[in-house]
Amino acid sequence: MREGLVSFKGINGGIYINVKNGEFNTILKELEEKLTKSIDFFREAKIIGIKGESISKEEKKELLNVIKYKYELNIIEDLEPSLKESVFDGIEEGMTKFISTTIRSGQVVEYDGNIVIIGDVNPGALIKARGNIVILGSLKGVAHAGVGGNTEAYIAAYDLRPTQIRIGSIISRKPDGNMDFIGIPEVARVCNKEIVIEPYLPRK
Amino acid sequence: MHGYKVVVVDTDIGLRNLDVVMGLENRIVYDIVDVVEGNCRLKQGLIRDKRFDGLYLLPAAQTKDKTAINPEQMMELISKLKEEFDYIIVDSPAGIEQGFKNSIAGADEAYIVTTPEISAVRDADRVIGLLEAHGINNPKLIINRIRYDMVKRGDMMNVEDIVDILAIDLLGIIPDDEAIVISTNKGEPVIAEEKPLSAKAYRNICNRILGKEVELLDLETNEGKLSRILKVLFNK
Repeated sequence: MREGLVSFKGINGGIYINVKNGEFNTILKELEEKLTKSIDFFREAKIIGIKGESISKEEKKELLNVIKYKYELNIIEDLEPSLKESVFDGIEEGMTKFISTTIRSGQVVEYDGNIVIIGDVNPGALIKARGNIVILGSLKGVAHAGVGGNTEAYIAAYDLRPTQIRIGSIISRKPDGNMDFIGIPEVARVCNKEIVIEPYLPRK
Repeated sequence: MHGYKVVVVDTDIGLRNLDVVMGLENRIVYDIVDVVEGNCRLKQGLIRDKRFDGLYLLPAAQTKDKTAINPEQMMELISKLKEEFDYIIVDSPAGIEQGFKNSIAGADEAYIVTTPEISAVRDADRVIGLLEAHGINNPKLIINRIRYDMVKRGDMMNVEDIVDILAIDLLGIIPDDEAIVISTNKGEPVIAEEKPLSAKAYRNICNRILGKEVELLDLETNEGKLSRILKVLFNK
């Protein structure tokens, strides 16, 4: 099930390369392997750039040079800055990650799309999605939907008692003191620049 | 409480709890790792306490581990905090590894908290040695969760025994108290309450840190006396 350090993602008009935390040489090796494997495909494609939190500017340049000169692929670097700013727009229909386990304290789930969790999210856990978050259990940790600025995103849970919820750049925390499970699912969304929580009522 | 500006720094990265017992968990946006790495300003990381003016918390990160910061970064952080605060309390994690090394890096003084058990006292002795090796001399001792009834029966180490072994100054003793369990579960420091004996013990420790002379608590509480009378009455 282990995902590689290097993955390719299609986005308007091209492909960008997503690089995860890892040693530079391993990343380089993996990138070359993947490029060689389907070189014909990449020859047709436009590579927009490289994205990754831990990768430095010099490393990025080196990878781009490898792609450019060793494999002679098209790179359109001008588009790169817009990559970071882009707001995930797949909350109606888009990439979704499904997780069917309990997320415990200290664990982080991050995804460039929607997240559905069939399980609980315990206090101290962090869920970050660029789209919606739906939890078919209890949410007691921190959930951040609409990372990147999408305030249309929502957070829904069967038992919604989070430590904190964030949608886009809006933060809301739970009231002090203990809360009891109200017995019906709830949905948190942004309304007039504030996070409001409403009960989920069927046939609404 | 005394009008000083105090910050509590939780260095137990990965197993943070201080925010929970202080009832501030839901206010955390940034943590110590964010501050150290420069993801946010120091001011953004500090959380103001909801009861006491002048009390702030710098929470630990939960999703990282102790290696996320190093002693040099910690020293820099403490020196920055020193500009703004009268007292900086660094809560050290258990163990003598990186987390402990981080927490003592910027410290001027140390308070050793131990329970009256052989194993805990051994560990305290080891820690005192490590502190001295690091140039922090004369740490003060706080004995936690002492049970007067057990000491009386000879089933628990008494205060003199512990002070004898560790040979450091005693700063205070805190009785084992149900009120602490209740208050930490609620996220409200017991010291804010008037009645519990443990709260009194904590207040005494504060006063001693501020340089006042305060007598050690007499742990023979009214309840203790009452229950003993009852025991005599019912011949048990």
